[in-house]
Amino acid sequence: MKLEVNFTLRWLAVLAILTMGQWVMAQRTITGTVTDAQTKEPLIGANILVLGSSTGTITEFDGTYSLSVPAGATTLEFSYTGYTTQQVAVTASSVIDVALSAGQILDEVVVIGYGSVRKEDATGVVAAISSKDFNRGAIVSADQLIAGKVAGVQIATNSGEPGGQATIRVRGGTSVNAGNEPLYVIDGVPIDNTPINPGGFSNGRNPLNFLNPNDIETFTVLKDASATAIYGSRGANGVILITTKKGKAGSAGRITYDGYVNTASISGQPDILDAQAFRNVVTFKAPNRIEQLGSSETNWYDEMLQTSTGQSHNLSLTGGAENIGYRASVGYQNLTGILRASETERTNFALNINNNLLDGKLQINANLKGAFTKDQFDPGVVSSAWTFDPTQAVYDPSNTIYAGYNEYGVTLAPRNPVSAIEQVQDFGRSFRSLGNIELTYNLDFIPGLSAKVNAGYDVNNGKRERFQPTTYARASAAPDPLAGELRNENYTRLSGLLETYLNYKREISSSQRIDLVAGYSYQDFKGEFPSFRAFGLSTDIFGLNSTVPATQFVSNTSILNNRLISFFGRANYSISDKYLFTATIRRDGSTRFGGDNRWGWFPSAAFAWRILEEDFASGLSNIFSDLKLRLGWGITGNESIPNFGYLPTYSLGDFRTRYQFGDAFVTTARPNGYDANLKWEETSSFNVGLDFGFGNGKFSGAIEYYLKQTNDLLFTVNVPAGTNLTDRVLTNIGEVRNQGVELTLNAVVLNTRDISWNVGFNAALNNNEVVAIDGISDQGVLVGGISGGVGNNVQILQVGSPVNSFFLFQHKIGTDGLPLRDDVDHNDNGTTAVNGDLSDIYEDLNGDGIVNDLDKRVVNQPAPVAILGLTSNFNYKNLDLSFTFRGSLGNYVYNNNASNYGYYDRLTLNPNYVNNLHTSVLETKFQRPQYFSDYYLEDASFVRLDNITLGYTLNGKAVFNTIRLYATAQNVFVLSKYKGLDPEVGGGIDNNPYPRARGFIFGLSLGL
Amino acid sequence: MKRISNILLASALVFMSACTDLELEPLGSTTPGVFFQDESSYRAFIARVYAGLAITGQSGPAGSADISSLDEGFSNYLRQYWQLQTLTTDEAVIAWGDEGLPELHNHAWTSANQFVRAMYYRVFFQVSMANEFLRESTDDKLAARGVSEAGKADIRRYRAEARFLRALSYWHGIDLFANVPFYTEESAVGSAAPTQASRKQVFDFIESELAAIESDMAAPGAGEYGRADRAALWMLQAKLFINAGVYAGENRNTDAITVTKKVIDSGAYSLQETYQHLFLTDNQNSTETIWAIPFDGQSTQTWGGMTYLVHAPVGGSMDPAQWGINGGWFGLRTTKAIANLFTDVSGATDERALFYTSGQNLEIESISNFTDGYGLPKFRNVSSAGVGGSDLDHPDTDFPIFRLADAYLIYAEAVLRGGQGGDAATALSYINELRERAYNNTSGNITADQLTLDFILDERAREMYWEGYRRQDLVRFDRFTANGIWPWKGGVKEGKVTDTYRNIFPIPISEVLTNRNLKQNDGY
Repeated sequence: MKLEVNFTLRWLAVLAILTMGQWVMAQRTITGTVTDAQTKEPLIGANILVLGSSTGTITEFDGTYSLSVPAGATTLEFSYTGYTTQQVAVTASSVIDVALSAGQILDEVVVIGYGSVRKEDATGVVAAISSKDFNRGAIVSADQLIAGKVAGVQIATNSGEPGGQATIRVRGGTSVNAGNEPLYVIDGVPIDNTPINPGGFSNGRNPLNFLNPNDIETFTVLKDASATAIYGSRGANGVILITTKKGKAGSAGRITYDGYVNTASISGQPDILDAQAFRNVVTFKAPNRIEQLGSSETNWYDEMLQTSTGQSHNLSLTGGAENIGYRASVGYQNLTGILRASETERTNFALNINNNLLDGKLQINANLKGAFTKDQFDPGVVSSAWTFDPTQAVYDPSNTIYAGYNEYGVTLAPRNPVSAIEQVQDFGRSFRSLGNIELTYNLDFIPGLSAKVNAGYDVNNGKRERFQPTTYARASAAPDPLAGELRNENYTRLSGLLETYLNYKREISSSQRIDLVAGYSYQDFKGEFPSFRAFGLSTDIFGLNSTVPATQFVSNTSILNNRLISFFGRANYSISDKYLFTATIRRDGSTRFGGDNRWGWFPSAAFAWRILEEDFASGLSNIFSDLKLRLGWGITGNESIPNFGYLPTYSLGDFRTRYQFGDAFVTTARPNGYDANLKWEETSSFNVGLDFGFGNGKFSGAIEYYLKQTNDLLFTVNVPAGTNLTDRVLTNIGEVRNQGVELTLNAVVLNTRDISWNVGFNAALNNNEVVAIDGISDQGVLVGGISGGVGNNVQILQVGSPVNSFFLFQHKIGTDGLPLRDDVDHNDNGTTAVNGDLSDIYEDLNGDGIVNDLDKRVVNQPAPVAILGLTSNFNYKNLDLSFTFRGSLGNYVYNNNASNYGYYDRLTLNPNYVNNLHTSVLETKFQRPQYFSDYYLEDASFVRLDNITLGYTLNGKAVFNTIRLYATAQNVFVLSKYKGLDPEVGGGIDNNPYPRARGFIFGLSLGL
Repeated sequence: MKRISNILLASALVFMSACTDLELEPLGSTTPGVFFQDESSYRAFIARVYAGLAITGQSGPAGSADISSLDEGFSNYLRQYWQLQTLTTDEAVIAWGDEGLPELHNHAWTSANQFVRAMYYRVFFQVSMANEFLRESTDDKLAARGVSEAGKADIRRYRAEARFLRALSYWHGIDLFANVPFYTEESAVGSAAPTQASRKQVFDFIESELAAIESDMAAPGAGEYGRADRAALWMLQAKLFINAGVYAGENRNTDAITVTKKVIDSGAYSLQETYQHLFLTDNQNSTETIWAIPFDGQSTQTWGGMTYLVHAPVGGSMDPAQWGINGGWFGLRTTKAIANLFTDVSGATDERALFYTSGQNLEIESISNFTDGYGLPKFRNVSSAGVGGSDLDHPDTDFPIFRLADAYLIYAEAVLRGGQGGDAATALSYINELRERAYNNTSGNITADQLTLDFILDERAREMYWEGYRRQDLVRFDRFTANGIWPWKGGVKEGKVTDTYRNIFPIPISEVLTNRNLKQNDGY
């Protein structure tokens, strides 16, 4: 009982501190800068402690600090990881600058799954990126912070949508039909980051958007299986550990503010005919349609655009008292997109309290994070802007059915994009909160043994709602009884986590150390997704606010649930700091699998050899400052598939799939296909790496080779008719192999008192190949659906080729270097490609005299062969300049905009209107769509200057300890041969994505 | 302090042992144990086996697709059955350039053709669903689930209908693909790949199945609308027997006469007075239709089926409102080979001539040009009284699979082919009944001399065009490949003969590669 009271009092005390602010108790303030004695670089996060007290602080990002010192203080202690601690006497001066000398860098710690290790003891491929190296810019989703920073980690935004979903691949994708995204573990809580929208209405943008980039301390990417196998069935695609900022016990309270305003606009224009060119083309190619043209000159694309603006404000309070550290922050961000009617807005908070109790035997670490996100979605009418007749006016006041917007009002006609943007209201609102409390207790009875309990939750609650007034043109012609729609989809996703584990750390002898972990984890996921749609609204006056009588209602509720239970263990053993061994094992049980496949084993083993510790290597010490050889092997899994695929189930049809029996309509029920033997994908990986440092630590880096073989590939394939209840079933049927080489180099190029310049470079080559698809030896599975026609695919999964390779005809090239036109009888056989003789324009690759499906060939891949990153940080006195280049080589893009809009017949597809064309038609002169021509496949290798930042820091001015002003340019330029708007296209099919913006940011950081 | 650590440890251990429970009930969908607790589930299930002919998934008009080998709207059973039986013939061309679609009329399809693939998997989706129904409705399972006696009686009839639907799809299977994988309810989900049966073996199976279930089916016209009855079964037998030469190398014309007589003599059906009314939204009231696939603008929606058949032929200068829809799809027209079967395409003489000629050219210069070729928008989303359907996208019009006119035509053909049990005079009277309905008088009647097999083939086209039988008829008359020419057959404007192996379609390459028991059809 006494304990509980004590406990409560302490927490009350924390609250009191939080409200009052500890700095008010200070009597005197000392400021200064802590630098590296050798490089003169400021040291970030160095500790300053008033000796003999718990008062202290840490340095800012520019190395400055400000500490309120009690009257009786005599000595300050300055310490920094890897540097020799210094004690400095307090004098009358209120400024104490200290230069710390690098000691043996021994104590830098990296987080790994369920624990941490000293960096030099790490045996797996672990890359840690801390906040000082993060990308700058108007960043909404946290994953963008490390784009281009880690070798072999590809982080690509799929579009320019504010806060849009990104595609993240760690060492290439291991899977085809299961997920390829890495597992995120935030402050020890693995989260489910898969967007789920069973009602077909995406209910938010990037699920990671709830994290404020400003709250993040480090990203740690676990790349190889020896590091990720402890996450078992979720480890195959890599693991990203995100650690948020924390206060430190004994440090002084500090308030920081970080904010910026930004603006952005489109970079580039799409290749569509302008009004003048369009009129000319119609005059020549469809003269009988000329009277249907309007007299305006409308650039529909520009009509949709706006200048993006945004702002971000973050306020944090960090500090500590005896045995307790805390950090609290609030943030606000707002960003409008460059497409009108798109916006994202986030308000978030984060709280961390860490506390030592019972003489340091019990450590409590509690995190609470939450964010309210409000998204506005553009109505998705980019394709209309590509195709809408540019001679038509935006408005037509006489057209009252459509509220004065110029609409054709016939089926299949493109919709006026401005009408959509101005009339449709489409919002998503969500609240996501993640919290956990970790208790670590040192058990007295066995020295070195501690027990840990980690309990956490992740709740994500929100809705997406869209209102289309009756004056908005649907696909149907007027009068449309179903005009006017209200659509609403809610979601509540809840996940609970409980982990308990024991840790035993012991030096067995002076040369042998062991570190053992054994534990248990329980995580439960549940989601509910009720939704409804009302069509044919009787009035528009209520907008989103109320359901009104409507002609038709459709409602639906989906509930999804799954659970994961695991036992895991790890042993680290080191001999003389020279030979390091790690072994892990995890046993995972998942409700996504049944019977014998429910539980699986995921082992790993790794060995590292610190060569410089060997006697025979003493000569190498002159050259190298670090040399470590690492070998790792492990088996990981992938269970990112829908729930209960192993069970026979029935799906009830909705009211539109009923069937008439007599005079009544009977609701139908369908037995679903399933594979009772479904199991997770298993990836066995091997990694060999060498960490090196030379030039007295000026140059460091690592080189890695890996081989990842994924077996039991979960793959939706055709099964023999009669063996199941549908034609394609998700089953374990194939193998994919990824192998690659990664190089990371960091260099301190310049290092003088006034100038420092650090450069980081990374490069990764990945080779991806489908090794086997059982039963489908030489024929592939078509994938990669495009816009244009129905059911047209341009990619293939074929044994021996990279996943989703392009699969196209080889277009014959004329003497002018252009693809042969389709309306000319090139081979003089009396018929042209327009009339079905494809041999006029495509190569007969199998030589059978006719050109058909069998003449397509596998050519190139959408995934890059190599990805590159280059980061530079340059400081001159108070000026700093940094930039990040990102590159991608060997990635190909199919220009679907050109293939779908670039042919003359498109002008006259429908008698009621004339369609605009892609400018490529002026070159190809295609009459008919040639969707499967390799003319549309382009090398989209690129180098992009992602961001460049110029900053200036003022120290100790006015009431602030530090003031930093900076300006950042984002997406400054991109070098590429690709002819479309942007070479970075998710999935390799360029199909009206939300365009990317070029932006500028002006920011201010204040430290109090 | 010790106490705390003990509590901590103990609670951790308790939790660890308590929480290894992975038996979660799937909340989002229904396992058989849950589903069949309710007797009405069997009705929902058999309704879905029927609906497999009409819809494509569990969300209308598209969503939660049944099969995923191609676009859901394309994957519709009726749409693909219709396309393979019609687009490959003189009855229709289509303007669209979707991959593999032009190949159909050009007689250039390969084993990779997506439409061939869709039809194949649709056939076996039906067979598999029917098998699953039979497995879940055995006497043992009904007893174990405590099904009532009344429920058992209903389910007995459902079982007969499931076997009928399975026979129907196997018939489509052997008609289109000849030698197909054969399996029954004995093969549970996940069992070994089925072996291939010959066309003749499957023919025999269908014949024996239909004989076995006949008594369990409803009497002609006595069952619920939308469900097959004994007359539908006899019509399926008639189709089997009239084509027995193709399927089994047997002459079964006598049997064809026997079963068509059962249909005709049942007295349950009479010719619809106005031909066009067979294809309108109120055609469920037709006196002539024996069995139809019902569609409904509100309740039975798909992008295939009747939605396709009403929209795709509308375009050019046609006013979509006249067809009860919000817009045409500018796809389907017919060739002059069909138009020339009518002396007057206006419909003023023979009311079956539902051509649309305004702004359309008889000759087809380019298949992709919608105005080349006469329009033939046979099905409409309006009622016989001119009232539009309940939805502008999805028609209320039902698709007749079997109707009395077909029974007349089969009877006559079987008599002409030498079948016993019927007579030429009756055959002639049936044909003239059809022509009197078409001409509204006797001016179109023919004489006994004029009633030849060639006449039957042409009359079948005039009466049954766009109802999904043309290819089958042409194959039976040996006019589909090596004989018979129509515009753009073989990919040339004037048409040319094609190889006889195209009388049947290839087994999809995806199937040949996954089921090693299957031998590809010759020529592919």
